[in-house]
Amino acid sequence: MARYGMALDYKNCINCKACEVACKEENGVELGAEKHRIWVGANDVKGEWPLLDIASAAFLPSQCQHCEDAPCQEVCPTNATYYDENHVVRVDSDKCILCSYCMNACPYDARYVDDRTMTVDKCTFCSDTRLARGETTTACQATCPTKVRTFGDLDDPNSEISELLRTREHFSLKAHLGTNPKLFYLT
Amino acid sequence: MPKEISRRRFLQGSVALTVIGSSAMGKTNFIYFKKEKSSIPESITTKTSTKKAEEIPFLCGICVNKCAGFARVEDGVVTKLNPNPYFPKSRNMLCARGNAGIQTTYDPDRLKYPLVRIGERGDGKYKRVSWEEAYNAILHGTDKFKGLLQILEEEKDNRSTIAYCNGEGLSKEGFEVLMGEKIGTVNYVDEVSICLETTLGGYFATIGTYGEADLSNADYLIIAGANRAEAIITPDTMDLFKRSKGRGLKTIVLDPRFTNTAAKADRWYAVNPGTDLAFVLALTYVALSEELYDKAFIKKYGVGFEAYKNHIISHKYTPEWAENITNIPAKEIIKTAREFMSAQSPIYYQGRRSVFSKNDFQLRRAMAIFQGLSGNLNKKGGIIYGEPLELPEEEINSPIYNQAQGRFDKHNIAILSQRAGSWMVFRNMVVEKKSPYPVRAMFMRKHNPIAGVPNSAKTIQFLKQMDLNVMIDILPSDSMMYADVVLPEASYLERTSPVASYGLLEPAIVQRKAAIEPLYETKTPEQIYKELAEVLSKPLFEISKKYDNELQEEVKKRGEKNVYKEDGYILSDAWEKDVAERNRERVVKAFGEDAWKILEEKGVYYSNIEKYHKQVNANEYQYYPENKKKYSVETDNIKLVFNFRHLADIGVDSMPTWKDEYLFSVPEGKFRLITGRHAQFTQSATTNNMMLRDLIHTNYLWINRRIADKKGIKFGDMLEVKSKVGKVTIKAYPTEKIAPNQVFMIHGFGGLSQDMTMAYGNGANDATLLEDIHEPVYGAAVMHETNVEIRKV
Amino acid sequence: MKIGPLSIPLKEDFSLKSILGFEKTPVNMLLALSVIAMLVMLVVGIGNYLIHSHHAYNVTRQHPWGLLIAVYIFFVVSSTGFCIVGSLGDVFGFKDFTMISKRAIFGSIVTILAGFTVIAFEIGHPVTMMIYNVLTPGLTSAIWWMGTLYGLYLTFMIIEFYFLLNNDMKKAKIFGLTGLLVGLAAHSNLGSVFGFLNARTISQGVYYPTYFILTAFITGIFLSFIIMGFRYKLNFNEKTKKLLEGLAKIQGLLISILIFFMTWKLLTDMYGGVPTRSDVAHHIIHTAPFWAEVILVMIIPLLVILKDFGKSPVLMFWASLSGMVGIFFMRYNLVHDTQVKPLQMMKIREYQLSPEWIHYFPSASEIMISLGGLGLCILLYYVGTRAFNLDEEEGH
Ligand code: SF4
Ligand code: SF4
Ligand code: SF4
Repeated sequence: MARYGMALDYKNCINCKACEVACKEENGVELGAEKHRIWVGANDVKGEWPLLDIASAAFLPSQCQHCEDAPCQEVCPTNATYYDENHVVRVDSDKCILCSYCMNACPYDARYVDDRTMTVDKCTFCSDTRLARGETTTACQATCPTKVRTFGDLDDPNSEISELLRTREHFSLKAHLGTNPKLFYLT
Repeated sequence: MPKEISRRRFLQGSVALTVIGSSAMGKTNFIYFKKEKSSIPESITTKTSTKKAEEIPFLCGICVNKCAGFARVEDGVVTKLNPNPYFPKSRNMLCARGNAGIQTTYDPDRLKYPLVRIGERGDGKYKRVSWEEAYNAILHGTDKFKGLLQILEEEKDNRSTIAYCNGEGLSKEGFEVLMGEKIGTVNYVDEVSICLETTLGGYFATIGTYGEADLSNADYLIIAGANRAEAIITPDTMDLFKRSKGRGLKTIVLDPRFTNTAAKADRWYAVNPGTDLAFVLALTYVALSEELYDKAFIKKYGVGFEAYKNHIISHKYTPEWAENITNIPAKEIIKTAREFMSAQSPIYYQGRRSVFSKNDFQLRRAMAIFQGLSGNLNKKGGIIYGEPLELPEEEINSPIYNQAQGRFDKHNIAILSQRAGSWMVFRNMVVEKKSPYPVRAMFMRKHNPIAGVPNSAKTIQFLKQMDLNVMIDILPSDSMMYADVVLPEASYLERTSPVASYGLLEPAIVQRKAAIEPLYETKTPEQIYKELAEVLSKPLFEISKKYDNELQEEVKKRGEKNVYKEDGYILSDAWEKDVAERNRERVVKAFGEDAWKILEEKGVYYSNIEKYHKQVNANEYQYYPENKKKYSVETDNIKLVFNFRHLADIGVDSMPTWKDEYLFSVPEGKFRLITGRHAQFTQSATTNNMMLRDLIHTNYLWINRRIADKKGIKFGDMLEVKSKVGKVTIKAYPTEKIAPNQVFMIHGFGGLSQDMTMAYGNGANDATLLEDIHEPVYGAAVMHETNVEIRKV
Repeated sequence: MKIGPLSIPLKEDFSLKSILGFEKTPVNMLLALSVIAMLVMLVVGIGNYLIHSHHAYNVTRQHPWGLLIAVYIFFVVSSTGFCIVGSLGDVFGFKDFTMISKRAIFGSIVTILAGFTVIAFEIGHPVTMMIYNVLTPGLTSAIWWMGTLYGLYLTFMIIEFYFLLNNDMKKAKIFGLTGLLVGLAAHSNLGSVFGFLNARTISQGVYYPTYFILTAFITGIFLSFIIMGFRYKLNFNEKTKKLLEGLAKIQGLLISILIFFMTWKLLTDMYGGVPTRSDVAHHIIHTAPFWAEVILVMIIPLLVILKDFGKSPVLMFWASLSGMVGIFFMRYNLVHDTQVKPLQMMKIREYQLSPEWIHYFPSASEIMISLGGLGLCILLYYVGTRAFNLDEEEGH
């Protein structure tokens, strides 16, 4: 029984997308531009050559935020979306009716339709693959060249993530929506 | 001729190469484990199961970097590649391409069986044959092409009529043994002369090493023309970006375009392409004129310092002078030079990339000298000399072919590398019929010169001109389409490769083990070398016997059987033992039985690994304790050659000098074409990789947004791009990330091979456009000196 | 006809012959052919969906709800509208309106059936839905409430209709009232499906749940004009005229309220400065479907009503047709505009334009199934007019 979260040292990110591929290979995610559990966003750099605004070119890795108050869970008519025992937001594909309400409700664009099961899929924190085998890292974390990600138990005061969040300033995405994300961006 | 014979004896066995191997099949299975039969996964990606699975250590083969990992194998299928936390070079990471390596092994377009051409070259018509038939076709030819036997007969055993090329990889040296040592041709070309030859040359000539940049301890970095965020090299990429952005490593990026590396910089200078040399000279001017250099270090190691100082000052390589050339403001140059020289551990990153301009060798010299001026060599946070782990060398019994003639690709080249010459000069001389003897056969392995060497049209002409082309590869590349015989190779997940040593600061040896059995009818490279050698041995020996007087004498004297055997004419004798066995022998010899056990299990070994290797946090590991890292070593290699007098003898500037001819002009209405890399893509080799194609489906032409607006070009518009030597069509990507008079495209797209269904006709290939210009020192191809016209179509 | 203990009074001449025995005027023939064509499309569209599942639709990760959701809403709003109009007479006892009650209640049944048909092919797993709606109900989900309540509503409407047919006005009234309340609850819940989306600031809030009731009433009145127009072939008797004049006046009032609502919604959206709300609102008013909605639903009908305070039922019939087309756009706009702003505004691939507004245009299958729903609705209604006496019983 843990409360899993992830801290992202996002300034390290070089937009290499190793995380995206590792996730797809580990979790058997389909190919296709729309089918990703995890992604890295970039903005078009501002300014005119050669006076470009370097700061505007930051990369922002993202995925399901595993919200504590997940809008996707609230709106699910059959409770197909649920919190598992580790507070990971999961989808039970047997119960999913593909009404797509959660896709509309998730403020982070974290959900997509898996065409094979025709149900909604999303990041599972590798719960049914790596964690189920007793591993302690997620695929996206393990592979990252610049070690952006630290995954761990927020309830364990001695975990590395707890330590990071105690000692480093951080923010969450769209925090004003009250979703209480469990992805933390370290500054 | 007793004298001659002694020379002959002397030469024998003196060629020591580090790599030998043979089949990974056979005994391998018993040494390792009973492998399940390999099978093809049902879907493109396979969700890993919760069962226990085999975790086989491998070394990534997608790019040159060589990251270590573990392949997860479930029921004979590789379901996941995970990073290997034991390897200090790749430090527990795999990039997007490394993760997508599975897709190369399971690429439906793979070469699955040996093929022999039945159509015309380039039209892709082949017949599936057995391995034996394929080898025999190489030897005897078919009605469509001549065989080696006839060619050598006609050329009177001039082995150099055969040429060969090979791209980077762990089995490359084995191919060199086969072609160069055993079959005996001198005409070898590889990727180095279309890549970083001048960098290596310049650094070795100046400071005695290319070294390793200790980016985890440096505090100031100038990184010019090296795009570490998108052309990933470990551990540099990892170390750099963990500390950039105000976190300890101040980073100054020079690049004509705004790369992802520039996005991480403290300052980015949009340097005028090909003018880095002027920038470095001006930095040097500031350091010298303001006396900011490390005097003690120069006193100890410097060669010709005063001459260089005078040279720089008297040429007035001032920041103001450089501003006009480089497009970087003088005050920025002054600031950078002062910051650099006052930093604790400054590094001017050596870079690792293709040659962009003709002055590249001198640029590297100037960079190395500037680095040397700071004295930050052979110490923590500087350029590391280190201590690589040595593996015992292998002796090769190389026959001597007296009829074989020498290299000829020296035209306009000062220093011809004896190992692999200049691709471009070699090709051009053959095509232009300037070679002193005909080159008639081309053996290619894991190399796609049509896509890689500038001016594809000439490469195609070159291949068409051959009597025999042989290709050993995994995928049906553009160049494969011109092969007469095609030998399908096992991908890197299907083969055990010769053990290798990496690293200077934290050295280690690594081994790639086969995760699965070779799929289809493919074979490991070493097995192919061996089998081909077996087929060729006797018939080729017969030809030598016919034309080589010395050999005839020798046979008379010692008897044919003895000469054949003792003088190395049994071509396959270099692969008597298979790769796994050789690896074991070498490792045990150098480091003992325990080392082998560790290597087998972890894929990595270095002394005290079990004691030193510790997990530091969830993601990071300690490989060597701080006091065991080879920050500073006792070595005679350290030097700082300001004035390299000997260079003047061969017509090369002995000190880096700017020449006005280095200025490249872009006529009104044209654009300078620049090329480069991308993090989700490795040249033409990955264009057919489904997973990577998903991330970057094609290349686009970067064009300055304001220029595009003026020309009415919008994102995705089709453009025709034309240079003196070719034209392509490509989609437009208007962006502010590039200068108004330049255009950029990622190298490697625009596949011509119809058999690569994902890659075929997708995007544009820069090699079609690039003119065949080479720099004067090594004859390395110059990539950024081509102007193009563009037109909306 | 007798089914167990129930007796359903069918028309005496009800038969296949009576169904086909309509007057073969050009208009009727055209209508019949269109209905057949629409039903064919329904079959083709469904076939396509069964083969290609959601690939037959143009819905995407960023725009998961498409035309079928809009059409579903269109039908269920129509149903609620019918229900409200039908209740005026037989639940609330406005005598002038009783003559339309039975017809309207029947209309509410066929429209919701059409709506359910359409949504069955939008929801990926309708059977799973029925099972897990009961086994593991998501009580915090507006869709759960909406679906469940609409199910109940349909049941009540059918029972009410049964009692209406049997002239049991007392029981009809009880079930009518319950049905109406459940329907209104279901309907406002449908609004809240959007209102709860706090990721989608443009739709989030109390506006849609209330506005849905208002627009349902408006829809009901438009539909009343249309069905009465067909019933009397635009040749209205005095009684009907009186009914329609009353409805037109109410409609005038409702449309005015709607305009008032909408103006303020837009003004606060546009100038309220809430990020991802004001930019979306500005975007919306520059789109054609928005103006289609405004002109067809509000301006045209209101002008016709204002001309002589609803005394031109024939003109009102045409204005109502315009109104219903406009109502379709209204539903479409609601669904599309909710999703028009991407939630993830960064580029996730090098060679793409920065995400801007999300484009959506329905696929052929989506259009076919939607038109098929309309065809089904008309067919059922027509068969109903042949099977049942939908006019007010004489003597009441
Ligand atoms: S793997 Fe790491 S560096 Fe690469 S894109 Fe993902 S988070 Fe960024
Ligand atoms: S990020 Fe989206 S999918 Fe993930 S828990 Fe939050 S609302 Fe649900
Ligand atoms: S935690 Fe696992 S499932 Fe989630 S994005 Fe990372 S790799 Fe994918």
